[in-house]
Amino acid sequence: MRRALLWLATAVAAAGVVLWWATGPQPLEEDDLSGLQPGDAARGERIFVAGGCASCHARPDADGEAALELAGGRALKSAFGTFVAPNISPHPEDGIGDWSELDFANAMLRGISPEGEHYYPAFPYTSYARMEPQDVADLFAYLRTLPPVEGRPEGHSLSFPFTLRRGIGLWKLLYLDPEPVVALGEDALPEVLRGRYLVEGPGHCGECHTPRDWLGGPDLDRWLAGGPAPEGNGTVPNITPSSEGIGSWSEGDIAYFLESGFTPDFDSVGGAMVAVQKNMAHLPAEDREAIAAYLKVVEEVE
Amino acid sequence: MKKIAISFSFLLFSAAAVTAADDPIAVRQALMQANAASAGAASAMLKGEMDYNPVVAKAAIATFHSTAEAMGDFFPEGSNVGETRAAPAIWENPDAFRETLAKFRTDAAAAVEASGRDGPADLEAFRLAVMPVLSNCSACHENFRLEDD
Repeated sequence: MRRALLWLATAVAAAGVVLWWATGPQPLEEDDLSGLQPGDAARGERIFVAGGCASCHARPDADGEAALELAGGRALKSAFGTFVAPNISPHPEDGIGDWSELDFANAMLRGISPEGEHYYPAFPYTSYARMEPQDVADLFAYLRTLPPVEGRPEGHSLSFPFTLRRGIGLWKLLYLDPEPVVALGEDALPEVLRGRYLVEGPGHCGECHTPRDWLGGPDLDRWLAGGPAPEGNGTVPNITPSSEGIGSWSEGDIAYFLESGFTPDFDSVGGAMVAVQKNMAHLPAEDREAIAAYLKVVEEVE
Repeated sequence: MKKIAISFSFLLFSAAAVTAADDPIAVRQALMQANAASAGAASAMLKGEMDYNPVVAKAAIATFHSTAEAMGDFFPEGSNVGETRAAPAIWENPDAFRETLAKFRTDAAAAVEASGRDGPADLEAFRLAVMPVLSNCSACHENFRLEDD
């Protein structure tokens, strides 16, 4: 009996060690970034726009030049509590001014802070993990050209057990995967590949347009099929090419919507998509066309 | 015959008036549809799908102007209930809503001014006049319209 108990205790302890090990942060090493060109701020600006970084990291309701002051403070309400976007301006103490490129790459591609802690996936690194490291380096170079802003917004307010960051390691085992969601064949057009990259990676469209399961992970079987709005009111639309989605829209209609904010029947964009569409309007036309081309080939979901 | 036609149209008119008084939701939706149709005509010309026509351009701008002037009257207290996507923010934050509507009116009035007696002279003049007006659609829908349910 005593021996059995001992075995059990050993097994539990071993499972604990394995779990602890498996949920630990797995950061990139310096070598992973070797071979990259020095970050190019001009290219990084295009990534910044495609990602809509300012939509969360600028002060709420900031417009124009003020939207380049990435002081943070926008609150994201969720079932797990309220997340507050941090200061990512190049301020050395309150922002990311003293970060290295490797620190930034670990945040974007692995969801890990310079202190080696997991970030909550309200920061959509599940999408950014699909980005090219060079684009991350360029984005970092661009962020460093923006004005440093003093001050830190208040922290997240979450309920137990979501306050335990180690648990995110488990979440990452389930949901953090840098592979593309939509498999495309060898013969895929460059435009479609570019669209997939923008939508699944920096554009992080799936974060709102794909429904989430009970653990807050994306339900990939319903990729881009819409669902309840993450912040409560209403529904995020289905943007797959089905009859429930935007199957009746041509590629031109989609690109025009992203440029002008008008649907094919001249309803206008609304809600949280307004800020997104304003960013899309600033991208080169070829990027909007690429997004449109990709959205026509994703799987139809009713 | 003429008399009948007149009384018939009068009847229609009064029916419309009754609808307006009783159903602000229906009226503001009709105004929005007029906006959408005008945005459609404007966009077709801006995109080059339709040849530029100053008469059509002026009609679109005039429509925006009249809906901008009228719209604010059709969001009375209590008209948040029913078949409507009007957001609670309209009544919770009336100053911000008024300000947003006022910008729509100002931009539309400026476009009327710019289009003159015969409509904007060419496509570029039309673009300059109408683009600020069109930006009001999403500006208002960002905070004051609910997403599809």
